[in-house]
Amino acid sequence: MSAYHRGEPVDRLPCVPIVGNTAARVVGAKVSQFRGNGKLLAHAHIEAYRLFQYDIIRIFTDLYTQAEAMGATVHYPEDETAYLEKPALASHGELDQLQPADPYRDGNLPHHLEAMKIAVDKVGKEVTVTGALTCPFTNASFLVGAEQLVRLMLRNPEAVHRLCEISLETNLRYAKAIIDAGCTPSLTDAMSSCTVISPRQFQEFSYPYLKRLIDYIHSRGKSVTLHICGKTNRIWERMVEAGADCISIDNDADLLEAKEKVGCQVRLMGNVKPSEVMLQGTGDDVRKAVLDCLSKAYDNPKGYIVASGCSLPTETPFRNIHAMLDTVRRVGYPVDPEKLERLSTG
Amino acid sequence: MRELKAKLFQDLSDAVVDMDEEKAVETSHQVIDEGIDAYEAIEKGLAHGMDRVGELFDQEEYFIPEVLICSDAMYAGVEVLKPHLKGDEQGEKKKVVIGVIEGDTHDIGKNLVKIMLETSGFDVFDLGRDIPPQQFVDKAKEVGAHIIGLSTLMTTTMDGMREVVRILEETNLREQFKVIVGGGPISQSFADKIGADGYAANAADAVRLARKLVS
Repeated sequence: MSAYHRGEPVDRLPCVPIVGNTAARVVGAKVSQFRGNGKLLAHAHIEAYRLFQYDIIRIFTDLYTQAEAMGATVHYPEDETAYLEKPALASHGELDQLQPADPYRDGNLPHHLEAMKIAVDKVGKEVTVTGALTCPFTNASFLVGAEQLVRLMLRNPEAVHRLCEISLETNLRYAKAIIDAGCTPSLTDAMSSCTVISPRQFQEFSYPYLKRLIDYIHSRGKSVTLHICGKTNRIWERMVEAGADCISIDNDADLLEAKEKVGCQVRLMGNVKPSEVMLQGTGDDVRKAVLDCLSKAYDNPKGYIVASGCSLPTETPFRNIHAMLDTVRRVGYPVDPEKLERLSTG
Repeated sequence: MRELKAKLFQDLSDAVVDMDEEKAVETSHQVIDEGIDAYEAIEKGLAHGMDRVGELFDQEEYFIPEVLICSDAMYAGVEVLKPHLKGDEQGEKKKVVIGVIEGDTHDIGKNLVKIMLETSGFDVFDLGRDIPPQQFVDKAKEVGAHIIGLSTLMTTTMDGMREVVRILEETNLREQFKVIVGGGPISQSFADKIGADGYAANAADAVRLARKLVS
């Protein structure tokens, strides 16, 4: 990964099937065992990396870790990804009660930090280790509930700004702790998607906070990958302006269009369908999807990382993850468009 | 009178599109005071406005926040007009049972579909979120639904959708209800695989699909 980044010789393009709780399957653990157990979380992600040999480890269990540390209630099914049971506040009237989280004390944040530290110590020399960080606007949606947040945008914008500000404070503290652990924050901002809010609302409520977060991470000498789910084509330029060095796009967005619009400014990552192809497809479906992504983006001026469009579902078959890596290996580097064509039709 | 009526309907429609709840309520009262038919006012005023909102959403002029606030205005108007509906006008709507399947609490998408279905003349029974498969079937039987609508944003809960279809088959009820599915990780191929009757990519699609299935 760092070799590709520096423009040194590599034998294939970087490839990142975004493995989340699938790591539990690699070590035969139940997803809920990750709760409060940084050692196991690290072990699972290290073993998953060793099994599949991808290029970025991302310590991740769910999107709610910071919101939980700020008082949201998260439900942990025994063996599935956790989900938000109750936001931190019943109404925005209680806003004054909200405190930014202490990453060394609150919720599961200390355990995630422990996992990041262990992973960096064990394999940090050979692979990039990142820690998932849910961005200000999305985290704010877990503090009052998504529907209340989007209503507030029109009814009480000031409250939304206050929520984002306090989310950002938690984000900055957590980002600092992640970087102090020797790791890089990996930014996720699901709610900032144009599937939910307009580009104008993104600009008003999400962008300013995102930019401050990215500025901080840059000030610590780390580059930033920003993932936003769903439709994003109308905010790519904004994502770049906010400072993202790499944007990770979902399958609702088109790599070719992204390359044309912002490829000169930013590295692209994506966008094999996590559910339809990676979870439910065959190895051959994966191969075709990877080749299709490659043909669109292999020559992106600022570089390209073959990846899934979003975190992989827990039960994604191992063979499909292997198929993704195998395909990228077979294509090799530098990518020969004729070979790509041949593999696609063959 | 006819002119006044047309103006009030237009005002209602505009109030919804302009997210003006106060105006929607005020105009609805005016409709009643003028002795104008409440049903017609909902149809040609409030629902008409919500149709325009749906179009604006399709064109990516409006997004989820706007649709929700518009629907607040619509429902506020409906609340005023509802007591004045004559009984027979409310009957014979097609019924939909809808909810987010167990294991997931993301319900904005489901709420959007609910709003759009209601404005399109469906009678929607909203179970809420994190709903066990059996409960969809029980409710559908209880209300004599035509359609069961299942939503999820999480791949972990997709099996719950399959389970609903399985329960229907096992209890010989499959033919009684149309099952439609939607949400982030769902696709047409998944819908086909579990034997659902249809997949919708968004709220507007869901309405088209529902209409097609009950026509």
